[in-house]
Amino acid sequence: MGRPVAIIGSGQTHHGRRFDVTYPELVKEAVDAVFENTGISPNDIEGVVSGTMPSMMEGVALTHFYFAEVLRSVGKPIMKTETCGSTGISLAFTGYYWVASGMADLVLVVGSEKMNEGDSQATMTTVVEPFYQRYFIAGAPGVFSMQCQEWSVKFGIPEDKVRAAATRLSIDHHNDAFDNPYAHIKKRLTPEEVNNARIITYPIRLWDVCPNSDGACAMIFASEEMVKKYGLKPAWVKGVGYSGEEYWFGDSEKAIWQCAIDAAKQAYDMAGITNPRKELDVAEVYNPFTYQEMLYYECFGFCDFGEACDLVLKGVFSREGELPCDPSGGTLCTNPIGATGLNRAAEAALQVTGQAGDHQIPGAKLSLAHAMGGVDQYNGVMILGSEK
Amino acid sequence: MKKDFYTISNVIRLPHKYAAGPSFTRFYNGLEEGKIFGTICPSCKKTFVPARSFCPGCLANLDEWVEVSQEGEVVSWAYTDREFFGMPGKPPVILALIKLDGTDCNFLHLIGGIEMGDRDEVSSAIKRGTRVRAAWNDEKKGHMLDIKYFEPVS
Amino acid sequence: MTNRVGIVEVAMTPGAETKDNFLDQVFKISKEVLDKSGVSRDDIGTVISASSDVFHGGMSCANSYYWDAGAAFLKNGSRQDGESLFAFIYAVMRILSGNYDTALVLGVCKGSENPENDVLTHFFTDPFYQRQIGLNETIAAALQKREYMDRFGITEEQCAGVVVKNLKNALGNPYAHVKKKVGLDDVLASEVVMDPLKAMECAPKSEGIIAMVLAKEELAKKLTDKPVWFKGYGSSIDGFYLGDRDLLEGELPNAAKRAYDAAGIKDPKKEIDVAEVCEPYAFQELLWCEDLGFCGRGEGGKLLESGATGMNGDIPVNPSGGVLAMNPYVSRGLYRLAEGFLQIRGQAGERQLDKQVNTALAHSTHGFAGQCHAVAIIGS
Repeated sequence: MGRPVAIIGSGQTHHGRRFDVTYPELVKEAVDAVFENTGISPNDIEGVVSGTMPSMMEGVALTHFYFAEVLRSVGKPIMKTETCGSTGISLAFTGYYWVASGMADLVLVVGSEKMNEGDSQATMTTVVEPFYQRYFIAGAPGVFSMQCQEWSVKFGIPEDKVRAAATRLSIDHHNDAFDNPYAHIKKRLTPEEVNNARIITYPIRLWDVCPNSDGACAMIFASEEMVKKYGLKPAWVKGVGYSGEEYWFGDSEKAIWQCAIDAAKQAYDMAGITNPRKELDVAEVYNPFTYQEMLYYECFGFCDFGEACDLVLKGVFSREGELPCDPSGGTLCTNPIGATGLNRAAEAALQVTGQAGDHQIPGAKLSLAHAMGGVDQYNGVMILGSEK
Repeated sequence: MKKDFYTISNVIRLPHKYAAGPSFTRFYNGLEEGKIFGTICPSCKKTFVPARSFCPGCLANLDEWVEVSQEGEVVSWAYTDREFFGMPGKPPVILALIKLDGTDCNFLHLIGGIEMGDRDEVSSAIKRGTRVRAAWNDEKKGHMLDIKYFEPVS
Repeated sequence: MTNRVGIVEVAMTPGAETKDNFLDQVFKISKEVLDKSGVSRDDIGTVISASSDVFHGGMSCANSYYWDAGAAFLKNGSRQDGESLFAFIYAVMRILSGNYDTALVLGVCKGSENPENDVLTHFFTDPFYQRQIGLNETIAAALQKREYMDRFGITEEQCAGVVVKNLKNALGNPYAHVKKKVGLDDVLASEVVMDPLKAMECAPKSEGIIAMVLAKEELAKKLTDKPVWFKGYGSSIDGFYLGDRDLLEGELPNAAKRAYDAAGIKDPKKEIDVAEVCEPYAFQELLWCEDLGFCGRGEGGKLLESGATGMNGDIPVNPSGGVLAMNPYVSRGLYRLAEGFLQIRGQAGERQLDKQVNTALAHSTHGFAGQCHAVAIIGS
């Protein structure tokens, strides 16, 4: 592993339906926030990484041009990373590698999205090629429903148990969001409301799904020298992992999800983690769907395959549990796609630096951040720690 | 076995709804009233038009509004008699960068009100430095093209 | 930097638009470069690609589509949306970090599946001001060319001279798209598309799928007799609104300085043996030569006329024919780098320069009137 790299600050916008600002103004909010939070001067930034979902979402292409000023990148080197839903974590990796390579000591990373200016499901349909699959894969929920079915059938989990566990997650996370000043959807839900909510694509219902959020997240990656210079609490990058599977949906199974397993393993190996459930203090898992969240717990080794539902119902992954997952409310409550993966890293960093405010997990020292992208195609994992 | 391979066509139409925010909204309102608004940076004192919400150089918030002159000088221009995607109207068209009096940046818009059939005619009428003034549509909708074009001041 | 990164091999498609299936093309090129370099798909460390959803047949999340075809299955990879030199430098970073020994770099752009470039560049605009006026890259370039002529007296003949030079060079390049011998009069008489730009002064829309294998120093030396070393890189971006910028004082000098400093170059005109610059509009080659320090401001036209940028000149520019001969928008930076690579290795065939080529410069630009630039220096 290269030279040590840490996240020394982040800034988020208030996520939601932001028709009060233009897209660049939204990005500016997050960028202004990270400089305000850290006291670092924008002039000291040596490079900028920017990323959002593809241009079909907001109808502006190669947005790094549009955002040049608000990213504070005029006169500086810029990179633009995009890997569908996993963009946020890929952005974090770009910042990490830029510093780890020695080519910069201080890098600003910004993810953003203004979902409400476009049609997100129509946009996601354009991920699919027009030759074979586009007629059948319209939007995201259908794909994840199929994955959920595959998983619950494969491991013989009764439908009502899966439903109960998913409902528990939905209630917990929408509740948790009240303690996160930036979260989009905050709601006190009852099991009846969640179980009887409108069906999106069976078995996924309204409260099992993330919202369309507008928002941006900015983060600063620093070398050891810069950590010392600014005296801010560092969240050291202990491990990174990423993997991508076949493009064609149906080429491989998604219940034992190889790229999720591989991404976590790469990150754990780098960080020296052998028992994630014991060693991690908090995990910010990318959870646009409650059902899929449980799949991640299994693929990331938090529990055995087929076991997640039981443990969710026992509260193992709740805020008071053995391994709190998504105390920020996660993607389920806030999903500005280009920023979401970065939000997971920001939240994970806030946890290990003791700055997560009302949703701080006491004594957190080692955290996980994750994002997923494509038609169940990509997974990326980053491990952050308070010790170098 | 067929020798020619298929080619399939696809036209993608996606709807978008853009949030203009307070600054652009106010600029468009100005156009509806036949006015061109700019904003002034408290830090570098530059005047930007069309009105912006932040200064591109200083990144300061721009809260000071001013109605700018509708007259200025041509900085650069480009002329075409062919159709192109996203064209503002029908050809021939002259696109131009114009420095409106009293402002500190160039305003991207159109030049018109002259004979445009022939580029030689255009090149003799329009040069860098030619003074032009905004000519408006009677019906205004809060769109950049409420200004029909900028025409040479005789 | 004590640990160097070397380019081991290159594979690329020619620029003519084809009816080949895109995935087949990507697969063929990826496989070819891996076979040529002797690194198996299993062994390649990481895959970084450059593509753009607009220059990508309307397929969003671009690298999802060509992930398998681009040898990335179950690999740790990523993507740059924009210009391919960004992907190159990202791959270099991944190797310099020590996490990877090798990297596969891809640039993909299938011109035949896209509408005309200006339909797409129109979408670089903000929806409020510039889009309502219909701005696209050709209009921005036309406004820039007019300023260049008005302020520094660059002539139409000098701009046309770039086209004549580059298309002549392209005749010796099997990968070039446009293969046509043209004279000054042909260019000057070509149709005016956006005055003052004429059709022959504007780059075409081409196919371009290119792959490179990079390796850390010790491995590069084992894989090939003649690795070409990464020496330096610089990039810089200008402001967004056209009217806020001085179109003749852009960010290329900044980008070049960063690259020169990293590579230890003090006198570019002397120390660089060949330069591949990205000139989608002929006049821009003259302007970029000034920005790169090959001559003073306003002297780009005279530099061309002196023959200094010709094949046998002091600082040959675009022996490949440049972007005027072949323009796969997203991949064109890597094609510039590939030409430098081939020239250094003595593998440029008919267009191999007579002189010994030790140091090459590759430049790429994208955005209105050169809003964003990147420069890479490689050497033997």
